[in-house]
Amino acid sequence: MALSGMRGLSVFISDIRNCQNKEQERLRVDKELGNIRTRFKNEKGLTPYEKKKYVWKMLYIFMLGYDVDFGHMEAVSLISAPKYPEKQVGYIVTSSLLNENHDFLRLAINTVRNDIIGRNETFQCLALTMVGNIGGREFAESLAPDVQKLLISSSCRPLVRKKAALCLLRLFRKNPDVVNVDGWSDRMAQLLDERDLGVLTSSMSLLVALVSNNHEAYWSCLPKCVKTLERLARNQDIPQEYTYYGIPSPWLQVKTMRALQYFPTVEDPNTRRSLFEVLQRILMGTDVVKNVNKNNASHAVLFEALALVMHLDAENEMMSQCVALLGKFIAVREPNIRYLGLENMTRMLMVTDVHDIIKRHQAQIITSLKDPDISIRRRALDLLYGMCDVSNAKDIVEELLQYLSTADFAMREELSLKAAILAEKFAPDLSWYVDVILQLIDKAGDFVSDDIWFRVVQFVTNNEDLQPYAAAKAREYLDKPAIHETMVKVSAYLLGEYSHLLARRPGCSPKEIFSAIHEKLPTVSTTTIPILLSTYAKILMHTQPPDPELQKHVWAIFSKYESCIDVEIQQRAIEYFALSSKGAALMDILAEMPKFPERQSALIKKAEVAEVDTAEQSAIKLRAQQHMTNALVVTDQHSSNGTPQSVGQLSLVKIPSISGDEHTSADQELSQANGTLATVDPQPPSADLLGDLLGPLAIEGLPGAAVLSEPNAVSGLEGVPIPADDAAAIVPVEKDTNSVQPIGNINERFYALCLKDSGVLYEDPNIQIGIKAEWRAQHGRLVLFLGNKNTFPLLSVQALILPPVHLKIELSLVPETIPPRAQVQCPLEVMNLHPSRDVAVLDFSYKCGTSMANVKLRLPAVLNKFLQPITVSAEEFFPQWRSLSGPPLKLQEVVRGVRPLSLIDMANIFTSFQLTVCQGLDPNPNNLIASTTFYSETIRPMLCLIRIETDPTDRTQLRITVASGDPTLTFELMEFIKEQLVGIPTAPRPPAPPAAPVAQPTNPAALTDPGDLLAGLL
Amino acid sequence: MTVEKQQELIRSVFGVLCSRAEKVSNFMEVDSIFGPDSRLVYKHYATLYFIFVFDSSENELAMLDLIQVFVETLDKCFRNVCELDIVFNYNKLHSILDEIISGGQVLETSSTEIMRAVEEISKSESASNSISLVPKTVSGWRSR
Repeated sequence: MALSGMRGLSVFISDIRNCQNKEQERLRVDKELGNIRTRFKNEKGLTPYEKKKYVWKMLYIFMLGYDVDFGHMEAVSLISAPKYPEKQVGYIVTSSLLNENHDFLRLAINTVRNDIIGRNETFQCLALTMVGNIGGREFAESLAPDVQKLLISSSCRPLVRKKAALCLLRLFRKNPDVVNVDGWSDRMAQLLDERDLGVLTSSMSLLVALVSNNHEAYWSCLPKCVKTLERLARNQDIPQEYTYYGIPSPWLQVKTMRALQYFPTVEDPNTRRSLFEVLQRILMGTDVVKNVNKNNASHAVLFEALALVMHLDAENEMMSQCVALLGKFIAVREPNIRYLGLENMTRMLMVTDVHDIIKRHQAQIITSLKDPDISIRRRALDLLYGMCDVSNAKDIVEELLQYLSTADFAMREELSLKAAILAEKFAPDLSWYVDVILQLIDKAGDFVSDDIWFRVVQFVTNNEDLQPYAAAKAREYLDKPAIHETMVKVSAYLLGEYSHLLARRPGCSPKEIFSAIHEKLPTVSTTTIPILLSTYAKILMHTQPPDPELQKHVWAIFSKYESCIDVEIQQRAIEYFALSSKGAALMDILAEMPKFPERQSALIKKAEVAEVDTAEQSAIKLRAQQHMTNALVVTDQHSSNGTPQSVGQLSLVKIPSISGDEHTSADQELSQANGTLATVDPQPPSADLLGDLLGPLAIEGLPGAAVLSEPNAVSGLEGVPIPADDAAAIVPVEKDTNSVQPIGNINERFYALCLKDSGVLYEDPNIQIGIKAEWRAQHGRLVLFLGNKNTFPLLSVQALILPPVHLKIELSLVPETIPPRAQVQCPLEVMNLHPSRDVAVLDFSYKCGTSMANVKLRLPAVLNKFLQPITVSAEEFFPQWRSLSGPPLKLQEVVRGVRPLSLIDMANIFTSFQLTVCQGLDPNPNNLIASTTFYSETIRPMLCLIRIETDPTDRTQLRITVASGDPTLTFELMEFIKEQLVGIPTAPRPPAPPAAPVAQPTNPAALTDPGDLLAGLL
Repeated sequence: MTVEKQQELIRSVFGVLCSRAEKVSNFMEVDSIFGPDSRLVYKHYATLYFIFVFDSSENELAMLDLIQVFVETLDKCFRNVCELDIVFNYNKLHSILDEIISGGQVLETSSTEIMRAVEEISKSESASNSISLVPKTVSGWRSR
């Protein structure tokens, strides 16, 4: 006997371990895979033991990182083996190798179900574990009720029940629409009385999932959670094996407090008092001790308690207690606790009134910026960023700048962005701001995005007092031997504009400035050269009286670049050359840049967007975002490209057409749009880059020139009319009057919702409207979920229902404002009065910033929602069919131009619309009979019968017969079915009954054929 | 998730962790690897690294405790667990982990209870005459 039950397996593993290199390993693995493949091919000679062994080997190979693309069937088939070891392998390997969408899983559903409802507990455990790990939709559909039964069964062992709880949790998380948890609040409340800690822990996790989905239904569980917490933390009423390093089940304590954070508040004063007593005990009774494990466990509980206190918005006294504790933590030796101390302090900032207390710890936090652990340094940076305000900005930003030179590369980008934002937000004076940004570029040029230097240029342009200072600073930096290219750009720009203000200072004559800049030209890339050329032209212009020597020099440069391969450079060189020979006219053309319109900082915008990106959904965060918006987490550019892009692009289309007005709201819109332009493209090509800097000038130029000046500005030639076409390619934005673009196709969303009961009805960058519906006979209860995706509130929210006459619709009050990142639920009651295909429309509008959005959305309260499938037997069908003898109760129509569908596809469409397809009623296999019941307020539940006759030789035509006891219903249902079969569902539905599919003059031959068939049947 | 993606993630995590010094925190920011709102907690014992990745719905320190429970349980199963135990008994390891975590959630936190369940599984296995643990000496036996 081998050492293990499977000697072959141990040998294989040893072989792998003895491989000298990856290549050998691959050869050995390939050999084994080949071997397994051959053995599986000839399954006859394979014993269950061998099969088991090979499947274990497959898993091992998979874990080594090789793709195992065969043998899945064998793994799955082991699930139905009668003996435990084989079954176990089957379950474990299946859940490791296959994902939830794998077709083979379907084959196993019956076996899995039998194991779950069977008597063998070890089998139950295996099955529950696999289902819980995979969590697929089909599992949820066929197994969730059985799993629910196991969880609440009193005859099951805790071992099985705790697995059932987590299995159910996974199924619910993955398929909330399939797993029915109506009425589970009472059961959950009962489960929380459980004595077994294993079951209780799993149930608490389940509760967290349920409450996070809908806390309203689970209020009754709240006092139970507090009781559980008291039982653990106060009474320590718990079996010995559940104390962990002397602490009563820290996990359960943590989970319980987590569950409590999903309830918006604790209203009952007694419960609240009890809860605060326990929390107080936890806050005060935790000390840092020597044993690392004990420390971790006790602080896990403590930090969760802190989070809960913050969530509950406790009394001030308790809050300051918390800050005091955190202040202690950020100075302890234990790195984990320092880390969490900093992190929680950052969260704490979101609660009002603690800013000042936290500021007392500033020195310690700055020390943490030099912690050996990068994780801690990052937390410290976040915290410093969050706590910065006007009073401490200078200190903090200067610390950040100092740290920049020694910081890890991984942090520099984030660091420089944060420093730039803080400098801008809280600058005590503007010259300091210029200093900071220039230092930033100097120390970490690679990490300074274009947004940052664009912004400094804007500030300088708009503040005359600042201009000589900035120019002098720029001049100083040029003297440094090696400067970053971004520094060349910004210095060249500033000196081009303002160097004449320095004229009398030493080293600042036009010539000297020119040569200082020109010295850098050989070191820069083609994107910078155009800026340098503009600068030369400007210097030339400012040199009065003209300096012939300088002029000659500059002209030589221009003519050198006249044949440059880069179009932008070439164009500038030619134009500047031509212009500068015009003498005095140059003055008008190259005049100083006018002020930029006030615009929202692209940087701050970027920060907000990044924040949206990484924001977590936990209850406390959601609330906290309403308090402040400066908790910035800047991800690297690759990961933050998703949503911000779309937001940016959205603003792009907002540009209104503008003539040179003063600062109107339209200006602001434009500036916003331009502000974000920079964020859209992380590395704008030079043309766009300049477009962003210079573009907005257009609105401030002379009214007459306004139209043309934008393209002109792009090429750097203000006021000289050139054909707009020439520059059209680089005009950055287009005009569009639509303010907000929807995400996704509204029609497709509507049609999808006609077939299912929950989903997204509408989405744009600001809002998402979800819908969840329940239909019972003629009644419907819909809930609209209005979710604000932004970090600022949506205002003037209005929702109006335009109901068709056949529907009675009541919409509950819609709040006028949706707070940042909040979701508002608006229930909607629908009652169907009589049959009609008209659609209710939701007229929805809101204001976001300065833009107004209005959409009209069809509500999926359509005819088929009031249908319920019903199966009729032949004995019921035929008498009914005959009794409804002709129009108007029974209508028949031949329809052409139908989408060609197989009968199966057609049957599927019918089923999805709640029509039951009755198999075998029609003797002709090319026909299809369906039945359903229609519910409305004015007529009794009405049986509807439908017959479709198809022509197998021409699938584009068919004959439809619809019969019911109500003429309107018959007509409407007929039209409805035609729409479904003829119209392509994504096409907008015509307002009137569609004309196209109605019977047209038809080919008699085609008509008689199915007609005869029908006559024969009846 | 494809095998390549899995391997890539493992490589990235390894890249991040192998440069960690001693006596630093057990937490790492891994947004760039696993997407926003992901957290990583690790603990290493000699050559063995145990790594849990999760999101903000879990408590970091509690996850660290869970690693400790996992390791203490392995210790009980293998008497001073080492790398070889895990390599040669990876099937056993799957069973143990399945008793601690299910569907990404904490299933059991008492190592006594976990041991009880694991022993039950061993009984079921040997009742049908199968796997016993591979002792550490096996590598010696193989490499001779």
